[in-house]
Amino acid sequence: MVQGTLDMLILQTLVLGPAHGQTIAHAIERGSEEVLQVEHGSLYPALHRLQNRGWIAAFWGTSENNRKAKYYRLTPEGKRQLAAQTSRWEQVVRAIGRILNPIAESQG
Amino acid sequence: MNWRRFVQRQKADAEQREELDFYLDVTTEEYIERGMDPAAAREGAQRKLGNTTLIREEVYRMNTLTFAEGVLRDLRHALRMVRLNPAFSAAAILTLALGIGPNTAMFSVFSAILIRPLPYPGSDALVTVANRLVISGQVFEDAELSPAMYVACKENARAFESFGVWTVGTATVTGLGDPEQLVTVTATEGVLPALGIPARIGRWFSREDDTPGTPETVILSYGYCQRKFGGDPGAIGRTVLVNFIPRQVVGVMPPGFRVANVSPDIILSQRFPVSGVPEEFGYAGVGRLKPGVTVALANQDVARVWKAWGETAGTSRMLALLQVQPNLRPLKKDVVGDIGSLLTLLMGALGLVLLLVCANVTNLVLVRAQSRQQEFAIRTALGAGWSRIAREILIESLTLGAMGGAFGLAVAYAGLRVLVTHGPANLPRLAEISLDGWSLAFVLACSVGASLLFGLAAVLRCGRPGRMEMARGATRGAGQLRMQNAFVVMQVALAFVLLVASGLMIRSFIAMRAVRPGFTHPEWIQTVRISIPEALAAKPEQVIRIQSEILSRLSAIPGVAAAGFGNGLPLEPEYHNGILIAVEGKTSPDQMPPNRAFNGMSPGLLAAQGTRLMAGRDFTWDDVFGQRRVALISENMAREYWGDGASALGKRIRFGRDGAWNEVVGVTEDVSADGVNRPAPATVYAHIGGRRGMTLAIRSERAGTEGFLRDVAAQIHAVNPNLPLARVRTLNDVYRQSMAQTSFALVLLAIAGAMALTLAIVGVYGVLAYAVARRRHEVGIRLALGAEPKALKWQFVRRGLLLNCIGGIIGLALALGLSRWIASLLFGLTPLDPLTYVAAAALIALAVTAGSYIPARQAASVDPVEMLRTE
Repeated sequence: MVQGTLDMLILQTLVLGPAHGQTIAHAIERGSEEVLQVEHGSLYPALHRLQNRGWIAAFWGTSENNRKAKYYRLTPEGKRQLAAQTSRWEQVVRAIGRILNPIAESQG
Repeated sequence: MNWRRFVQRQKADAEQREELDFYLDVTTEEYIERGMDPAAAREGAQRKLGNTTLIREEVYRMNTLTFAEGVLRDLRHALRMVRLNPAFSAAAILTLALGIGPNTAMFSVFSAILIRPLPYPGSDALVTVANRLVISGQVFEDAELSPAMYVACKENARAFESFGVWTVGTATVTGLGDPEQLVTVTATEGVLPALGIPARIGRWFSREDDTPGTPETVILSYGYCQRKFGGDPGAIGRTVLVNFIPRQVVGVMPPGFRVANVSPDIILSQRFPVSGVPEEFGYAGVGRLKPGVTVALANQDVARVWKAWGETAGTSRMLALLQVQPNLRPLKKDVVGDIGSLLTLLMGALGLVLLLVCANVTNLVLVRAQSRQQEFAIRTALGAGWSRIAREILIESLTLGAMGGAFGLAVAYAGLRVLVTHGPANLPRLAEISLDGWSLAFVLACSVGASLLFGLAAVLRCGRPGRMEMARGATRGAGQLRMQNAFVVMQVALAFVLLVASGLMIRSFIAMRAVRPGFTHPEWIQTVRISIPEALAAKPEQVIRIQSEILSRLSAIPGVAAAGFGNGLPLEPEYHNGILIAVEGKTSPDQMPPNRAFNGMSPGLLAAQGTRLMAGRDFTWDDVFGQRRVALISENMAREYWGDGASALGKRIRFGRDGAWNEVVGVTEDVSADGVNRPAPATVYAHIGGRRGMTLAIRSERAGTEGFLRDVAAQIHAVNPNLPLARVRTLNDVYRQSMAQTSFALVLLAIAGAMALTLAIVGVYGVLAYAVARRRHEVGIRLALGAEPKALKWQFVRRGLLLNCIGGIIGLALALGLSRWIASLLFGLTPLDPLTYVAAAALIALAVTAGSYIPARQAASVDPVEMLRTE
């Protein structure tokens, strides 16, 4: 996975509503049609880091199968960050696209 | 990184673990649903998640502060070391506590008395207003003001924001339960505003309160108001009978209120009659300087006032004759008095003890660090940097230091409690002494300073880069021993200084006890002070009647050997009121005659005190009632004028420059009226002249017992039930109090000396025991080769003695250099008293020999076979 994109993907996943770690990993993997494989070795530290920055908040809830689970939700600050990161990402992607494929640039 | 997360990092880790477990469970279930068998599913989930410990570590690192984490770990390690080496730790901590505790206590005393400002707002501006004057060559630095001076100063001085005069006294209060004799301050209107402490309820005195003809008023202390009115604000406006005169309560002062060194029960307004006031220099002046006015400027201002007053009131001749000059000084200087030098000395002595303690603990720590060389070497080999090991040693030292400091604080607290309850009553500001923020800062500074000292010594010894090599089985250098030897020499030197100091105090104390104070068996002399108010007996003759009746009743109590009374007893402040005494044929009528101590006394007082009559006779009641003009003088005065006691009989003296002549009918033994540490003053005795205040002295072996006091009270109250009894004590209490300052210094210096001696013994013992342990091998081989055990023993003892001698010589030089600091506290001997020096040297030599003998014997008892077998 591209360096630095995991944070953005986590935030994007949480736009749909609170989720716990496993759901987030699944959502990323399924959403990318299994192209992106989430390394759990970096997922949990990333979650912790985002929480420390105040972009997501954690709370203890009950999972679908009635177990205590740690859920994460997006904070307003997180939403702002997501928007900023997404637009920067799109800029980068567009820029790279322009270099790799000048003609198809508009579909980028 | 923030501290909150740091503190909660354990909790965060537990949560992380739970979260990861949850992931494993959910994923396992998912795999099972897909048809995997449970074991494989669990394994798969685990594989998917990866290394959970790594994840947790990464998250944990996000939450931690590396340095703080390291320090905490070292701290835990240090605490474990303290627990695992109880003997070493207890020795170090106790030694530190005994060093830091007394120092902290003394520092608290020092800071409360000398450093802390007086408990008045803006107390720097407060000054004592007094005069310097000269009476027949004798200079009085702190002569108080006269009423006329007060009025002149009040009206004309510009330096003061407010100014007033006050006196201390006692008064009888009746009508509120048992009659009581209270401590009073009688103050003019300006005194309380100058001190600046507002009344708790009610008000200060006003100008009307000072004016004759208006209703008399009184202000109560908080304590007295609580006691009598239960703190009721309704106390304002109530009437209290003070000396049988009704006075209206106008205010109550807050708790702890003092006027300079006096805690009055009640404060009375001072009113001077418009005319006919006797010009006595008996009123203490206090003023608050205006902002920006210095003491020097205020002195100039008051000098100007005196000059103008001399011209308008016609007192210029008196001012010139007595060379009156204003001598204003900060109030604090008056309150604190001359205690500063004593406290500095004690502080210094205890500081030396602290140094000794540091040296001792350093030795302990060094020996221990040495024995841990192996451990340090292994850790270095495993990759620990020297800074890592240095940090650990320092943190261990700081832990020891902190624990020592904490125990020291407990010692200081206990010490101060004892001091405040049993301390010398003449220690100023005793009630203000407590452990405050400064004391805590002092403890902290002591602990940290000491820990850094011995921690750094240990680091330098074994934690330095390159030093690690030493541990690899190589023989140890002599460097460590040199350092320890130096410590022992220093300890012996300091111990010698402290022993000399306490020895000098002990000898002074013995010398004081040996003084014949002019009274015998003070523990048998019961004193009671009573005052006969004007309302009971208006005329002096009536007062004398009542007094003689009381005396005859008291003499009739079984077991009473003699009874008498005087204006004051020896060592009481009333005693040394001076009077100018002219001697017929000896003092010139043109000059001011010298000032002599004076006491009025009843027949029988000399017998009650046990004061010997050197020549002539005591007063008789015929002298008193016949108003005969006779007087007694002290032997030293008789010697001064006539060479010996008997020749004084029949000579004539008079009070002041004019007045009637009195015949000397008796010569008494000298009485140390100002305390046994002062020379006995030349004293003149007159028989009682109807003064109202008097102190009774009743000689009985039952003195001080409750039954006896009840008998005394019953006899006095049989004469008049409204007479309150004050200062009920034996003369022994007074006697002991007069030596209180000396015994206070004695006790503290003796403690310091004993501690120093113990520390020196322990120090010598420790170093020699260590040397012996290191040389067991060598000793074993030498014994095997036929060395004499006795010679070996002597070899070690000799080393101890050598160190002792060097230490002793340094100590002698130090003691000689420092001796002048103690000179002012000594009595009857010089600070270079040879006996004390010899005794101190002998004591320390004996102690060191004992301290070195035990390890030496151990060395000589090494079994060579055993020693060589282990080789």
